[in-house]
Amino acid sequence: MIDLALKNVSKRFGGLLAVDKLDVEVPKGKILSLIGPNGAGKTTVFNMITGVYPPSEGTISYQGKKLNNLRSNRIIRHGIARTFQNIRLFKSMTVLENVQVGMHCRTKSGAFRALLNTPFAIREEKEIIEKSMETLEFLGLADHHNEYASNLAYGDQRRLEIARAVATRPEMLLLDEPAAGMNPSETAELMDLILKLRDTGLTIFLVEHDMRLVMGISEMVVVLDHGHKIAQGEPKEIQQNEKVIEAYLGTKVKAKA
Amino acid sequence: MDTSSFLVQQLINALFLGSIYALIALGYTMVYGIIELINFAHGELFTAGAFIGLIVLAALQKYGFVQTHFVLTLFLVFGMAMAYVGVLGVAIEHVAYKPLRNASRLAAILSALGMSIFLSNGMMLSQGVSDRAYPALFGLKGITIIGARITYGQVFIIILSLLLMVALNMFVNWTKLGKAMRATAQNQVMARMLGINIDRTIRVTFIIGPALGAAAGVMVGMYYGSVRFDMGFIYMIKAFAAAILGGIGSIPGAVLGGMIIGGVEVAWSAFLPSAWKDVTTFIVLILVLYFKPSGILGEDVSETRV
Amino acid sequence: MRKMGILVLCLAVAVGFSSMAAAKTLKIGTLSPLTGPYAQDGTDILQGVKTAVAVFQKAGGIPGYKIEVIPGDSACDGGKATMAANNLINQGVNGVVGAYCSSATIPSSVPLNEANIIQITPASTHTDVTARGFKQIFRMCPRDDVQAWSTVKFLEDGLKVKTLALIDDRQTYTVGLTENITKFVNEDKKIKIVALEHITPGDKDFTAVLTKLKKLNPDAIYMGVYQPEGSLMVRQAKALGIKATLLSEDAVYHPKFIEVGGKAAEGTFLTYAKAPDTPERRNFEKTYKKMWNAQAIGSYGYYAYDSAMVFMEAVKKAGTTDTNKVAATIRDNTWNGVSGKIKFDEKGDRKLAHIIWIVKDGKFVPYWDPMTEKYF
Ligand SMILES: Nc1ncnc2c1ncn2[C@@H]1O[C@H](COP(=O)(O)OP(=O)(O)OP(=O)(O)O)[C@@H](O)[C@H]1O
Ligand SMILES: [Mg+2]
Repeated sequence: MIDLALKNVSKRFGGLLAVDKLDVEVPKGKILSLIGPNGAGKTTVFNMITGVYPPSEGTISYQGKKLNNLRSNRIIRHGIARTFQNIRLFKSMTVLENVQVGMHCRTKSGAFRALLNTPFAIREEKEIIEKSMETLEFLGLADHHNEYASNLAYGDQRRLEIARAVATRPEMLLLDEPAAGMNPSETAELMDLILKLRDTGLTIFLVEHDMRLVMGISEMVVVLDHGHKIAQGEPKEIQQNEKVIEAYLGTKVKAKA
Repeated sequence: MDTSSFLVQQLINALFLGSIYALIALGYTMVYGIIELINFAHGELFTAGAFIGLIVLAALQKYGFVQTHFVLTLFLVFGMAMAYVGVLGVAIEHVAYKPLRNASRLAAILSALGMSIFLSNGMMLSQGVSDRAYPALFGLKGITIIGARITYGQVFIIILSLLLMVALNMFVNWTKLGKAMRATAQNQVMARMLGINIDRTIRVTFIIGPALGAAAGVMVGMYYGSVRFDMGFIYMIKAFAAAILGGIGSIPGAVLGGMIIGGVEVAWSAFLPSAWKDVTTFIVLILVLYFKPSGILGEDVSETRV
Repeated sequence: MRKMGILVLCLAVAVGFSSMAAAKTLKIGTLSPLTGPYAQDGTDILQGVKTAVAVFQKAGGIPGYKIEVIPGDSACDGGKATMAANNLINQGVNGVVGAYCSSATIPSSVPLNEANIIQITPASTHTDVTARGFKQIFRMCPRDDVQAWSTVKFLEDGLKVKTLALIDDRQTYTVGLTENITKFVNEDKKIKIVALEHITPGDKDFTAVLTKLKKLNPDAIYMGVYQPEGSLMVRQAKALGIKATLLSEDAVYHPKFIEVGGKAAEGTFLTYAKAPDTPERRNFEKTYKKMWNAQAIGSYGYYAYDSAMVFMEAVKKAGTTDTNKVAATIRDNTWNGVSGKIKFDEKGDRKLAHIIWIVKDGKFVPYWDPMTEKYF
């Protein structure tokens, strides 16, 4: 079953065609990776899916519903959460608070109820704290819950980004280079974590340069170059694809495969 | 008056002045925090609060309500001033700032200045050019602590402003909306990505900030006994300095900044020739910014963008 | 085509008449702060002048003359006042009533003197206003040194205080007062000045300075400020429990002082001239209150009325708008004003003394006369 479908999607920035007539289908409960050299348009694809900006043409639909002109805060309610390539934690909030904010889109009390009926809001907040702690537990960050996000170790900051996205109770998770800047042991932990998340039923859409990670966990890989899809298939097929090797100029694939 | 009573008295003076600056500074800092705009109209919103308070108070006094229902009077005066100015704040945001959210910084600043002039002139035309007397609610009665005098009016105002600050702090730290506000202030794109309705969060900020300013306006009118359409200007300068000093965008920073500006002003007048009092505020500001450009509790402003 | 011709003819006639009328207009300019903190006094001045024109014209005016008032905003600021004065000159005014703050009057008087236009200030008390040898400038209110003299006399012989603290707001007018008071006090050596403090106009909180004075515990505190700050200052002084006698001057002598100061204003002494109760004065008060829907009249309303009235009467008497002749007429005659008898000396200063007033039961009440050293 297909969860997310991009049909004929393009994105133009002035004269630059960042994504060109892209078709991608992400199957439910699977891990699909989008790879490609720097500037290929991978982040742009994520930005269009999550409503940072609309596609110039084409349609993006999720579980049969069109997402094209929805803003980010609506899209999250459809069950799509994401992390960013560069860390975007709320640095002057604690680890727990970061996760709480993620969870808020699933709570009931509205803005004005929170403003006028603070005791009620505080009570609801207590329940949220419990659930947030469970999420932190799952991601192995519970011990750090009272620290400021900015004080966490780098690998933990990356994991907190995922924790916060998971807190929104998504059905699909978009991860933009989650292993960037990680050391090999942190990357190995991350690999386990992604598999663990997939096993809870989440669909994972991954953008990553670390080929060991990509080839190790993906069920399907899509390769992008200059906005075009140049290949699609299982990791093994991609590793042997001439076009892909050419696109990477024999650097990463060869070095890491 | 011996030295210790002198010091206590000056401390009270500073605390009083500082709490008012702090309340106003909160409005600047909250709005800046969330949309990175100096709301130049904030001084006028403060003045508008003072006038609404005056109108409500005068009406209640006319019907002898003040003597019979003193506490309810206070509640109504502050409540109506804050509510009215809160709505005014949202209206200003909608008309003058929202359409320019993606325009250049300069356009938004000009719009804010224009709003300030518009409101100031509006109040001049509707409320007159000269001082308006504020009905005396508290009179001159007070208590003496270690030889220092504090009137009941001052006690009430200091307590109320502290309560408002504590309530704001609880709201921002403990409630969903408060956290949404902080999240939006820190990273708008990410906040939206987590399902936060940015427009609504900004609107709420434009209720709370101006409402706090309005409360300060009523306090100033009540305590000093007069209001005038242009009184917001001098408070705007001081409160703005306080917000910058504390680190613009930081709520505890605004409170700290307000208290410091109030304290420096009083200390200078108390111990040094009073002639250059106003300069000191800015000397302190420049010194702090020299050593810590982001203000005392401010954070480095180097958020990455999409 | 015919219709067009008639229309053009009508227009020509209309233009002809109006330009004929314009040739016989007496233009009186005013300079006073219509914006900023002193807008109340500034408005009083403009209204006083307009009232004078109304009263004067009702009594017959000057046959064949239309009288027009052109307001200028001096904003209590030298630069703005000079700009406003130049603007009035360009509009061809025959005389100017203003300005209010000495710091605005002195700079604005330079272009008016060069253009040789009569200037009568209803309010500026600094000595320099008339000390520069200008022949066409007059002052309706008493000078700083006259006012300071009355104040010091009252402090020494009326109140018999031993210690005095002074406050001013560093503006030309108030500094003129505190400097003159200091000078007289130091000459007489009867009173010790324990402090000279400064405040900022527009500020609302003076508690730090007042607390400082409370510690020094002087017998009297002199507040050289304008009405808005004066009202706030008496409230804060009383709230701090200051027992010293509070004194101030004519810029604070305004109904607003009592309105805003409330109970705290009670017992404050003020220097201000006392005028006899005449039918003209009563007529002025009645007309003014009716014209401007006012409950009370600010002190400068009276002086402004007299300034405009003396100017118009002098033009009428001289039978010309020629400045030199009008100035001579103003100087050589004694006029009956609503603020008392008006007689100018060679410099253009009016011979008028202050008395001491006290705020009592929400009213200004005459208290002591420095000339006779007698209580009222
Ligand atoms: N907002 C924007 N405005 C203009 N051009 C943009 C914008 N965002 C991205 N681009 C351009 O679009 C192209 C694709 O960028 P994108 O960030 O999607 O690449 P990427 O595949 O994520 O690269 P990387 O691996 O380096 O993260 C690049 O040439 C980039 O400069
Ligand atoms: Mg990218």
